[in-house]
Amino acid sequence: MQALRTPGLMLAAVIGIMTLAGCATPPPANDPDAVADFNQTNDPLEPTNRVFYAINNGIDAVILRPLAVGYTYAVPQVVRTGVHNALNNLGSPVLLANDIFQTKPHRAGDTLMRFVINSTVGVAGFFDVASDWGYPYHDNDFGITMALWGVPEGPFLYLPILGPSDPRDATGFGADIALDPLTWIGQGSTVADLGYVRYGLTAVDTRAGLLNVLDNVKATALDPYATFRSLYRQHRQSVIDQVRNDNTATQPDWFPHPASH
Amino acid sequence: MLTRRTLLIASLATAALLSPFGRSGRAFAQSTDQAAAFINQTGQALIGIVNGPGSAADKRVQLQQIVDRDVDVDAVARFCLGRFWRGATPDQQQQYTKLFHQVLLNNITGKLGDYKGVTFVLGRTQPGEGGVTVDTTVTRPGSAPTDVQWVVGTATGAPKIVDVVAEGTSLRLTQRSDYASYLSHNNDSVQALLAAMRRQVSNAG
Repeated sequence: MQALRTPGLMLAAVIGIMTLAGCATPPPANDPDAVADFNQTNDPLEPTNRVFYAINNGIDAVILRPLAVGYTYAVPQVVRTGVHNALNNLGSPVLLANDIFQTKPHRAGDTLMRFVINSTVGVAGFFDVASDWGYPYHDNDFGITMALWGVPEGPFLYLPILGPSDPRDATGFGADIALDPLTWIGQGSTVADLGYVRYGLTAVDTRAGLLNVLDNVKATALDPYATFRSLYRQHRQSVIDQVRNDNTATQPDWFPHPASH
Repeated sequence: MLTRRTLLIASLATAALLSPFGRSGRAFAQSTDQAAAFINQTGQALIGIVNGPGSAADKRVQLQQIVDRDVDVDAVARFCLGRFWRGATPDQQQQYTKLFHQVLLNNITGKLGDYKGVTFVLGRTQPGEGGVTVDTTVTRPGSAPTDVQWVVGTATGAPKIVDVVAEGTSLRLTQRSDYASYLSHNNDSVQALLAAMRRQVSNAG
């Protein structure tokens, strides 16, 4: 409950600040090329977004990046992979819910089998046995679900802590927390503390996975903010297309196939 | 006589009907096969350099040879400048293209260290708008396999790489939005972009 309240409050605050803060000035109408660029960029809150980008960068430089670098340096690869697997496993209920909302039975089956196998044989998710057994991992979230339902992406948003987003993905982020049984299960400070450990580990694990990518962009881009904006959108679109086009049949192997007769 | 003429016409008609399909079908298979073979060859060469011995400077020289030979850098450069290419003077275009060659090479060599021990397998190949797309799956030790698509164009007569799409993010599209944003915050001045690129090149040493 506590975990839900904090990001929820934060989102509300962010949206409040954003509506109060400045908007980007559109180019003059007599420059159609510039207008087309402006519309394609679809970042009307760019000045505000850039402020949050700068703030996040500051936080990242002094806290998150050093933590991620230290984590990569101090913790052996095997353990990091195990932690990553375990965190993925904890996310399975949310994945499963979204697989079902997206009416992708094969993907839902993969997620369910992964959860069962990895939680048991994989020792609480530390080892990804299911991948070797033919149930590969896929990512999923409510932002993707809404995209498949036809909800438009909306303008670009750069959120404090969370980074690049859009109204659809920001809503999806909140919905995923609400969908997570771990948000609701249990009472008391121990459970709450474990929840924070999980969020903290997720942040460090995610940041560690992005060390090279982010360092590279910051070193090579003339406008890193615009580059992240473009990368985020392209990546999200490709993930959405991937889910949309994944219509693998759920017919089991033992079912009589007409072609095999 | 009649039979022979009928036969002749029939065979001509058949030839006329079939040949365009036949030829395009063959060309289609040829161009996709050719693109796949080309990417396989280029990929092996790149991996050979990345995983091979030699100093960073040696590797840079080797990489430059591959980029010059296998990447249509001029076309990528034009694409990345977008609508500003038309507005640039011939002199600016020339300077920009030259700088772009160096920036691209710096960016590629900067990523070299991340790709130690890399392997790849070829996937599906299909014709697309900007050229033939060759799918590969790149595997690095300690990270999940990455889907990388290579777009191969033949505008120069020989197969050349015109774009690399890693996990759905296109290299040239991303670069174009970087430049477009920089230009829009610098009064659309190509001169300012050239100055920034020059700084990048000199900083990279």
